Amino acid sequence: MTSRLSYVALRALQVIPAVLAIAVLNFILLHMAPGDAADVIAGLSGHASAEMTAELRRSFGLDQPLIVQFFVYIGRLLTLDLGISLIQSRPVVELIAERMGATLILMLTAIGVAVGIGLLLGILAALRHRSWTDTALSVLALVVYATPQFWLGLMLIVFFSITLDIFPSGGMRTIGAEFGPIHSVLDVARHLVLPAGTLGLFYVALYTRLMRTSMLDIMTLDYITTARAKGMSELRIAFTHAARNALLPIVTLLGVQVGHLLGGSILVETVFGWPGLGRLVLDALLQRDLVLLLGILFISSVVVVLTNLLVDVIYGLLDPRLARK
Amino acid sequence: MMKTVLGVLSVGLAAALGATAAAQTPVRGGSLTYTYHPEPTAMSTVSTTAVPVALVATKIYDSLLEWEGAEMKPVPGLAASWTRSDDGRTWTFKLRDGVKWHDGQPFTSADVKFSVENIAKAYHSRGRAHFGDVEAVETPDKSTVVFRLKAPVPYFIKAFQPTETPMLPVHKFAGVDLASAAAVRQAEVITRAPVGTGPFKLKEWQRGSHIILERNPDYWREGRPYLDQIILRVLPDGAARAIAFEKGEVDLAPQSALPEAELQRLGKLPGVVTSSAGTEALGPNLWLEVNLREPPLSDVRVRRAISMALDRSRIIDVIWYGYGKPGIGPIVSSDPNFFNKALKPYAYDPKKAGELLDEAGYKRGSDGVRFRITQNVLPYGENWTRLGEYVKQELSKLGIAVDTRSADLAGWLKTVYTDYNFHITSTFQHNYSDPTIGIERSYHSANIRPGAAFQNSMGYKNARVDQLFDLSKRELDPAKRKAQFDELQQIIHDEQPVIYLLEMQYVHLFHKRVHGLISNGISMYSNWANVWKEK
Repeated sequence: MTSRLSYVALRALQVIPAVLAIAVLNFILLHMAPGDAADVIAGLSGHASAEMTAELRRSFGLDQPLIVQFFVYIGRLLTLDLGISLIQSRPVVELIAERMGATLILMLTAIGVAVGIGLLLGILAALRHRSWTDTALSVLALVVYATPQFWLGLMLIVFFSITLDIFPSGGMRTIGAEFGPIHSVLDVARHLVLPAGTLGLFYVALYTRLMRTSMLDIMTLDYITTARAKGMSELRIAFTHAARNALLPIVTLLGVQVGHLLGGSILVETVFGWPGLGRLVLDALLQRDLVLLLGILFISSVVVVLTNLLVDVIYGLLDPRLARK
Repeated sequence: MMKTVLGVLSVGLAAALGATAAAQTPVRGGSLTYTYHPEPTAMSTVSTTAVPVALVATKIYDSLLEWEGAEMKPVPGLAASWTRSDDGRTWTFKLRDGVKWHDGQPFTSADVKFSVENIAKAYHSRGRAHFGDVEAVETPDKSTVVFRLKAPVPYFIKAFQPTETPMLPVHKFAGVDLASAAAVRQAEVITRAPVGTGPFKLKEWQRGSHIILERNPDYWREGRPYLDQIILRVLPDGAARAIAFEKGEVDLAPQSALPEAELQRLGKLPGVVTSSAGTEALGPNLWLEVNLREPPLSDVRVRRAISMALDRSRIIDVIWYGYGKPGIGPIVSSDPNFFNKALKPYAYDPKKAGELLDEAGYKRGSDGVRFRITQNVLPYGENWTRLGEYVKQELSKLGIAVDTRSADLAGWLKTVYTDYNFHITSTFQHNYSDPTIGIERSYHSANIRPGAAFQNSMGYKNARVDQLFDLSKRELDPAKRKAQFDELQQIIHDEQPVIYLLEMQYVHLFHKRVHGLISNGISMYSNWANVWKEK
């Protein structure tokens, strides 16, 4: 128990330098490109004089030497102040908070359903190794994995929204409708089916392929042969002995994919007009809203690093030898 | 029988005339849903006059006047009447009585003074152009505002358009540091909680999803607005916007909100209206900006040759899907007040273009190349990229080798307007409703100033052009002023400091059930108090 605690504590300590290093790197990379938000605001206004651009630059602090801007940025980060968006003139924390929920709903639904289905299909394919079921599942997974998400999304809209007219073509809620709590949830769920389906299909394919390979590797190990020699059924071996070990690479992948949570669904959010963070990232990037962009990158790096910490802990639970090392 | 025939006729007429016939019986109620992307970044055009902000802000914030027709005739709005002194230096506006802000406070002359002096003049991108000559704003009583100008400004009245000088409530700026651009931009009435006098007020803004504006029950004009709600649906993907329109979930896609490829298809659907009317006072004009500091582009013969080597009708048909007209000069031909009708587009004539270059001394080398130039491309999407490819292809036939460079918007702006580090670049600008506001920025030599976006990046200097701009800026006689602009257009057309390619066309697509949308030269930026929808 003590060893597990100190394992977690050690991992937790490593989070701080990692997050700081990411913050520094983000800052440097984003400031390497020519031009800034004052240029964009002045440009979009179509008419700004040189004085007006200079005044904007001054009031945003963009006229300061880069090193000064850097320390202002780090100083703010240390007090957990993410600043005020240059383009939208509102606190970055508010802007992120408004979008976070939608992204979480979409991603967690997609990944949750995908992991469940993907694992089952993967195990099935592995158990039926070299049968037509295995081949069919593998080919299908490959096709879905290779299908561009925006295309799949548009096809689903054309079929389910225009032809059959059973799901809305986009958005997260029925605009302007005033529903009670239960109806609201159902309303969001109805809007969620197509985007989560588009995103989820991709992940189903991914997890099916990974779980199949992982299971196939495990099923050739000695302890499985021993279990077979003891007369255990294949199903029992698969679910009680093999699946737990086969989960390790899945957990690793899940950890990596949480990074996508905050921006990876840009395509699906774009096609379905889903009001998540993905679009916010893209718009911030296009408008060179560095304060907003740095804020989103910071939050997402914290989430990724924390998730990886969680993955390490889960690893320890799945394979106690790792925590002891 | 007669009655039936008449009935059939009137149905036929109504169908044929669409908006016009049905407009006689407006209906109260209903929601108008439109779609545009990107999402607005603010609720007031003080922050930016970019299209998404202008579309929504103009329903909430009115200016002093309203506007009729493509010619943009001013009519009473928040100001019930106005007078101009004979010397053109004093303007007196009488405000309408009983107008209230959305929060119930009375709208007074103090708000007007504040909106002009503290906000528009200081922070609106065209504020200095409109109000630079304002010496004093006096408010003798709560419903009178007097502007005293240093010198006559013939286009002064045009400042009171909703995008240009929105009226803002002074009582909502308590505690805001008015000396700081950032602080003003961050004021809540500008960013997210607008309080205007317009026919609609903000009900809900679900970021990334939609905005709902609802009817202002205290709007000063009796019986208006007709609509209960205006809804903006934010749909980032062009195909998804088209689908929402096709399904009827969206009533209106204003100002080329849909990809051109979709416009053609959707425009043919029954019950759908395609219109380019109502944008006359915007006048988007597309050209290749030329850096005149750089030989051989400093030679007018070279610029004329480039102008002749590009086939405008091909650019329109192939790249812009048929939307637009050949570019002619600094003022677009759809401008009903100021366009010089004597001017014609440069005709496509690659042979003559080659001869001009030979004559200018730029003969083909052994590799067939006369000289090399770089080309920057405005980073506004597919069409612009393809235009860059077409220019490169066409100029290479002429013996001009073109290296294309791309960047994002911030990078492009800095390269072109601060560093002047370019040979040619594609870009476009709006004429707006007056040439002093719309075009002087590009051609007057006083506007060669690093850091000034969309101004004279070419380094164009012509003493007569400068003089004509200076004269027309003060000329109160419309006929004389028109003559000055005619001469100026002729000179610029001859000298081609930029290569005019295309008068862009904004296309609105809407379902026939919507009426009253096209009302003036800035129809989509009007307050839509008179817009109504069939049940």
